[in-house]
Amino acid sequence: MQQMQLRDFFSEDAIKLDLEAETKDEALKELVGLLGLDEKSQAILFKMLKRRENLGSTGIGRRIAIPHCRSLVVNRLRVAFGRKPGGLDFDAIDKKPVQNIFLIVAPPLEVSNQYLPVLGKIAQFGKESDIPERLAAIETPEEFLALLEEKGV
Amino acid sequence: MHPQLELLLELQDLKTQRRSLAEDGLSEVESAVFELRPSEALEILDGKIEELAGRLEAPVRARFSEVSQSLGRAVAPVLNGICYGCFVAIPTAWSSEVGRNDRINVCDHCGRFLYYVD
Repeated sequence: MQQMQLRDFFSEDAIKLDLEAETKDEALKELVGLLGLDEKSQAILFKMLKRRENLGSTGIGRRIAIPHCRSLVVNRLRVAFGRKPGGLDFDAIDKKPVQNIFLIVAPPLEVSNQYLPVLGKIAQFGKESDIPERLAAIETPEEFLALLEEKGV
Repeated sequence: MHPQLELLLELQDLKTQRRSLAEDGLSEVESAVFELRPSEALEILDGKIEELAGRLEAPVRARFSEVSQSLGRAVAPVLNGICYGCFVAIPTAWSSEVGRNDRINVCDHCGRFLYYVD
């Protein structure tokens, strides 16, 4: 069986390399907006992500955050990537601004149970030493996807 | 969307989060990657769940509590006309109605509250 690749979960329209957001909340809303959900679903999802952030920031350090939750408003696992070159205060573990945000949302039940593996793979990807610099240098969504492929995650 | 249905969705999502933290591998990832303390997080979630449940109207709360106890999840998504709680088809005329999330719908078969996912 072919191994799951992160590349397969990202679509180009859910990758934004120049987030307009100036705050953590705005960034979460902007990323949720990339998923193409109706307005009400977006609002519910934003609340859930906020509730997760209230338990502890998903900013894992090294300029990376991985907001995540399960919610009834999505019917399959969805991911999005947003970059804010100037950085955002995300109350990250290392207290430094976050530039790269990976959003992961999954329904409460999934047949293939991909939520945890995808979360783990993105965390692993973010821990690679050259990733913050490589992400900063990306100019197109295609290059982002190519980086995921190159790293084989 | 019916305000009580919105509340039910939030409540069910929080209960899902709680279950994930308490029962499956998420707890390990949350501790190792995000430095979350699961016991503290569970306490916060319990408080929020109680607060939201308190805002449900009495009959809705009674059903939510009863179905949660007997079946685990009290709110089920409907996808392609199927209740994803019991996997039984919802009557076609009903499930294709516009504004179907504007009222409280219950599965005739399993009794779960229904949320139509577009």
